[in-house]
Amino acid sequence: MRRTGPVIGLLGAAAVGAILLSLFTGPAAVSFRQVLDALAGRAASGPSGETAERIVLSLRLPRALLGFLVGGALSSSGVAFQALLRNPLADPYILGVSAGAAVGALTAALLLPGDAFLPLPFCAFLGAALAASAVFLLARRRSGVSRERLILMGVIVGAFLNAFIMLMVALAPPGRIPGAVYWLMGDLGLGTPRRVGVLLPYVAAGTTVLFLLSRGLDLMLLGDAAAFQAGLPVEKVKAATYVTASLLAGCVVAVSGLIGFVGLIVPHGARVLVGSGHRRLVPAAFLLGATFLVLADIAARSVSPSGELPVGAVTALSGAPFFLYLLRRDGGKP
Amino acid sequence: MSAQVLSAKGVRFRYREKEVLSGVDLDVGDGEVAILLGPNGVGKSTLLKIFSGLLAPHSGEVALLGRPPASYGRREMARLLSVVGQDPPVDFPMSVEEYVALGRFPHQGLFGGSTAEDRREAGRALEMCGLLDLRSRTLGELSAGERQRGTVARAICQGAKVMLLDEPTAFLDIYHRVEFYEIVSRLSGECGISALVASHDLSLCAEYGERILLLSAGRVMASGKPEEVLTPENVREAYGVEVTCDRNPATGAVRVTPLRRR
Repeated sequence: MRRTGPVIGLLGAAAVGAILLSLFTGPAAVSFRQVLDALAGRAASGPSGETAERIVLSLRLPRALLGFLVGGALSSSGVAFQALLRNPLADPYILGVSAGAAVGALTAALLLPGDAFLPLPFCAFLGAALAASAVFLLARRRSGVSRERLILMGVIVGAFLNAFIMLMVALAPPGRIPGAVYWLMGDLGLGTPRRVGVLLPYVAAGTTVLFLLSRGLDLMLLGDAAAFQAGLPVEKVKAATYVTASLLAGCVVAVSGLIGFVGLIVPHGARVLVGSGHRRLVPAAFLLGATFLVLADIAARSVSPSGELPVGAVTALSGAPFFLYLLRRDGGKP
Repeated sequence: MSAQVLSAKGVRFRYREKEVLSGVDLDVGDGEVAILLGPNGVGKSTLLKIFSGLLAPHSGEVALLGRPPASYGRREMARLLSVVGQDPPVDFPMSVEEYVALGRFPHQGLFGGSTAEDRREAGRALEMCGLLDLRSRTLGELSAGERQRGTVARAICQGAKVMLLDEPTAFLDIYHRVEFYEIVSRLSGECGISALVASHDLSLCAEYGERILLLSAGRVMASGKPEEVLTPENVREAYGVEVTCDRNPATGAVRVTPLRRR
């Protein structure tokens, strides 16, 4: 067995490093000293010091923590979907879960009066849950849920919902959904201490459940019949994995929009580091994804002096070539 | 007569309209290696799937250690019965050792970690199947014969007293077939394991099997010692092929040789 404890420790250190780095990065001029003061809770000196403290503690830190949670959640969810569907190209988005979340959030933004900011995450969560259940029920047969049907139904439902999103954006009254385009590409700018606080328990619970299911996920790699004969209650583990991974992805979409490719590529990177056993893979993928997204967000904020890129654009820019590499390495095998 | 570990009584099974098993009766005794022969599509795999609980018979009764398979919990059953399929996964992403250790699952609990005993059992299974030197490779790096031994090792690791083997030698050359039956007879002799092996190796089965069950047209057509079952008449009726059956001069076991059509 490989010794992977040190690798996971290093990944944890890398995640903390990325969060610290992001505190020092941004368009506003905040000195190294001011960041340290703010973190240490030392009294800020003068009005510029107070502003600096606010930027660090109320803007940059929550944003970095949001990136940490979102990146980690998307990646562990990706690990789960890849095991569930026995498909290296599966990710949280392939089953239409994210599209469901997006429809839920946009519906809230369009229909609810005034500042619909607060119910938005809840509606996104609801949308994800509805889309996930629809796909699961459509894919289900008397003999159980087959992986092929699950993917097929996910792609169909996802395509329909994505078209629906375009329709909603096109037909929305001007100015009704500002920032929708950004949100659809993934945006960590919504990170507030409160949001981070709301998201934290979901991500912690979801990732813990996946970690506890890791032996089951290992066995799922054998295929349904062999896993069943090896003692796994296959249908129960499938359902638990599916629900957990979907809701993990759904609650993340609610606060950060559609950030693609993290859930797809990070599990593969983590596999290179710690192998395919899920007891190591789930935590390693979480930490690697967290680090990756925090760094991607730093890049998104630094690329242009005047504004910023949606972080989803950065992850897609780096993710799409990797996706192609994966496809080519497997000789185009789906 | 020792107690039955596996038994089927009047088992019928159909896929949609097509009836595959039409009243199968058979028993496998404690510590016995019984070989299930019969032409392609006769329902050997189906019968094994019924014993392992993957399929339920449409009528008739099946029992594992006296109880119907459906009455066991998944993990409880996996501690009693292990299964070796005919096509081991080629592109499995784990090392041979990790793959074999998956067999310990029913002893570990869904959420638990692996113990020293788990590692010892995995090592023992690897050793029995001659895979100790290959344990760090991935399954894809092994030859077909080594890979099949890997699946047997995983089943051994599961620690069950009863084993079902579904055409485990289907893709193997003669060396690996012999190797495979050697492992099975050692398992039976040293560990007291009972096995039901579905196979197409008529002569090898005669060499290693204590009892042969010949499945034909949805029923057990003949059952008994190799020399009682493997007769030209029985083989013709089951497989539709002319053979001569004589004795292997070296071992005295029945030898089945197909005759060329004239």
